[in-house]
Amino acid sequence: MGLREVLARSAARHAHVLVVEVPGWDGLRMATERAVLERGWRLAWSPADADVLLVCGPPGPRLAAAVDLVWEQLPGPRVRVDVLDRRDLPDALAGACAGLLDDDHHRRDPRARHGAQDHGGHDGPEDHDGHDGHAGSEHHGDHDSSDDHGGHDMEMSPGGIPLAEGGDDRDGLEMDVLAVRLGPVLPHWPAGLVLHCSLQGDVLTGARAELLGAEHEDGDAADPRTRALDRVVSVLALAGWDDAAERARRVRDAPATGDARPTTADHPTASPGLARLRRRVRRSRMLRWSLRGLGPLTADDVRRLGLPEDAGGDAYDRLLHLLDDVDEPAPPGGRQAVPVDALADPVVGLDLAAARLVLAGLDLGGLSAAPAPRPEATRG
Amino acid sequence: MGEPLLTSLPAAAGPAVVTVAPAWAVAVVAVLGALALAAAALDGVLSARSASAGGALGAAGRPLGEASRLLRQRRRTTVQADTLLWRTGGAGLLVAAALMLAVVPLGRWTVADLAVGVVWFNAMDVMVWALVWLVGWGANSAHALVGGYRFLAHGLGYELPLMFALVAPAIAAGSLNVGAVAAAQDGLWFAAWMPVAFLVYLLGVAGFSVWGPFAPALGTDVAGGVRAELSGVDRLVLETGRYALLAAGAAFAVPMFLGGGAGPLLPDWAWTLVKTLAVLALLVWARRRLPALRPDLFMEIGWLVLLPAALVQDLLVAVVTVWRS
Amino acid sequence: MLVDIAFVALGVVAVLSGAAVFVVDSMARATYALAVSFVAVGVQVLFLQQSYVGVVVILMMVMEMAVMAVYMVMFMGMNPALMPMSMVHSNRTAVATAVLTFLLLAAGILVVDWPARRGSPPPEVTEALGEALMGPQMLVMAVISPVMVATIVAGVVLAAPRTRYDRFGDDLRQRPPDDPQPGGVGR
Repeated sequence: MGLREVLARSAARHAHVLVVEVPGWDGLRMATERAVLERGWRLAWSPADADVLLVCGPPGPRLAAAVDLVWEQLPGPRVRVDVLDRRDLPDALAGACAGLLDDDHHRRDPRARHGAQDHGGHDGPEDHDGHDGHAGSEHHGDHDSSDDHGGHDMEMSPGGIPLAEGGDDRDGLEMDVLAVRLGPVLPHWPAGLVLHCSLQGDVLTGARAELLGAEHEDGDAADPRTRALDRVVSVLALAGWDDAAERARRVRDAPATGDARPTTADHPTASPGLARLRRRVRRSRMLRWSLRGLGPLTADDVRRLGLPEDAGGDAYDRLLHLLDDVDEPAPPGGRQAVPVDALADPVVGLDLAAARLVLAGLDLGGLSAAPAPRPEATRG
Repeated sequence: MGEPLLTSLPAAAGPAVVTVAPAWAVAVVAVLGALALAAAALDGVLSARSASAGGALGAAGRPLGEASRLLRQRRRTTVQADTLLWRTGGAGLLVAAALMLAVVPLGRWTVADLAVGVVWFNAMDVMVWALVWLVGWGANSAHALVGGYRFLAHGLGYELPLMFALVAPAIAAGSLNVGAVAAAQDGLWFAAWMPVAFLVYLLGVAGFSVWGPFAPALGTDVAGGVRAELSGVDRLVLETGRYALLAAGAAFAVPMFLGGGAGPLLPDWAWTLVKTLAVLALLVWARRRLPALRPDLFMEIGWLVLLPAALVQDLLVAVVTVWRS
Repeated sequence: MLVDIAFVALGVVAVLSGAAVFVVDSMARATYALAVSFVAVGVQVLFLQQSYVGVVVILMMVMEMAVMAVYMVMFMGMNPALMPMSMVHSNRTAVATAVLTFLLLAAGILVVDWPARRGSPPPEVTEALGEALMGPQMLVMAVISPVMVATIVAGVVLAAPRTRYDRFGDDLRQRPPDDPQPGGVGR
């Protein structure tokens, strides 16, 4: 049994963690990411890639259901950890590590999964973001419906997944329209956001946004500077520049770990890491080429969405603004939260990659589930 | 059909390349595995260096740790997955990489001395089109499928420039045999006087390895793209296949552009390995420097910039070759 | 002996995977069954000492099938991965045509008086093939190639619904052009 144990220990040292952020708990999420990376673990991008599911904050009922569904999709050996307080993190991660080594438990685990007889992971095609397999049937809500696959008309919905319908695409040709939900469990994605998309190929032809909230509001929120840097991390990671994203993450986490001089509103001197990051991002022509012209917003759009004044321009402008203004003190009183309904508007008509880049770069400043002042978010 | 399957070249083509027994194919796989592991270890070290200030060297063991993790993880499947095509796609990448490496001479020895080795390599890299798309398709998941299509979109952009980049050394050497191309570079490497072709070739290698700027098919924005639904040993096979393709591409650059085994002091097989590792390190390092090339933007770059550049390079090489003879 | 067995085995693979195209119920499988069939034929051509032709058959066919799968999935509608669908239509006519064609060709193989081999293949088969194909017809090839490219370009231009007036405005002065999906070069 020596080999098996060596393998298990080595595996536990390199675990991948899927971190789920509950809205309002981004400070805890970032602390968790830091702790995970410090252990030598990695952050997972999808349930298939994860060994540990780590939920930061108390999810509300609908988000909890989505998280449960994601939990079902972890291949195993799997460990689930729920954290509410930063101080619990070291113990929680140590517990997760021990949990990963518990062979007996993992041998019993698959039998405990419901629906395990049919197929190993009974996830639908588009549902590893934490929604059920019925991608097109919105009225089902978020309940786990893997058991009622058989109840559907098998002729037109094999596996319980309704077939795509045709529709005119932007070139005037008929093309499949696929109903896909993005979120709420997706890396570099606004916490709790679910975007119900109509996809033609990978182009969003329509979208409707909703927010799955927390159980209670007194969250562990990050300060504006950290939050801004977190958005830089997301944009760089989504632009496919892992190295710069990694460096941005170090800058984001620097004050807390004490690697660099803390920069506060009283001493707005940029840390050397931040200065280097700025130079690096500005110098990259490829990044500019990639982000230029993406998701352009006019001053009118900005007002309508309730974004800060400087959110105009394209994704590249917003990234540079973000980097430049990191050290500026937050405006007193804060801003109005962005109504979640307004989010669909800037991304409709973009392809998936561009939509993700645009969303990650916007300062949503805490989404609010309240309806938008003008309900014109969806088109197409 | 009693004739030998693989025709060797006439003796005029410089130092003879010896075809070894087919059983040496095992050695090809071993070399491929070692190179892939080296690339993964280097990537682990570089990643660790950018993620934290110290302790980077310990990360060289990272790929082995990840491998043990994936070996322990369960495989999973999805509703209505096309398992046959799904698994074929992942495993096929390794096979394609090994078949690429089979025509690369290690110093004097080669497993398959094909008269049309260059075209063979090209055929294998086209196989990757099918294989990556199949991995994306088989999972029956929107994210994976988007990844598969992204790869094909990239393929349409990089493949033709890559083909014409491979034509340049073949024109200069007057042969499609890999050994003959290597032998034709005595004194001056092809990389030195056809830099555009070499550059386009390196881009192509990154392209068919789904590497670095060509990784949107595996992007974070689509939860890992093609591999979004892969776990356990299936994911391990896919990742190994990517590194193996990168290694095979680096190894093929040596006889095509870097003078094959030629070099002072060391024996020619050692030079081949050293040059391969150098190209491989360059490719691994470059990943960290560059953001992704989004497929919709890269398409025009491929057709309007790289393809004409490669064609002009071919023309120049052809003119020089005719003028020389 | 071993070579003969491998050759026959490849033939069997080619025929079986060719038949599988009509048996399987998904477009992806049908496409790639056809690809396997072509690859097997390509390897057979390799066995016949025509390495260039063999490798190019593999290269072109795999590439073509990869693109064909995309177009099939795109134009056929429905989630083809999920929905089992029949890969045949006009069954009776097709079968009759296939059987007749097969009989005709097979009869041709058996009836024709095949010549015995004279001489041996040249050392550089690929070069000889290129000379034979291109040598005397170089002028023709040099004329046909641009004409073919021009035909393709003209066909695409005529088929595209958007014209330069849509992109650059009525006076062709609008920069950057108005495209639904901007390209990477910025023209």
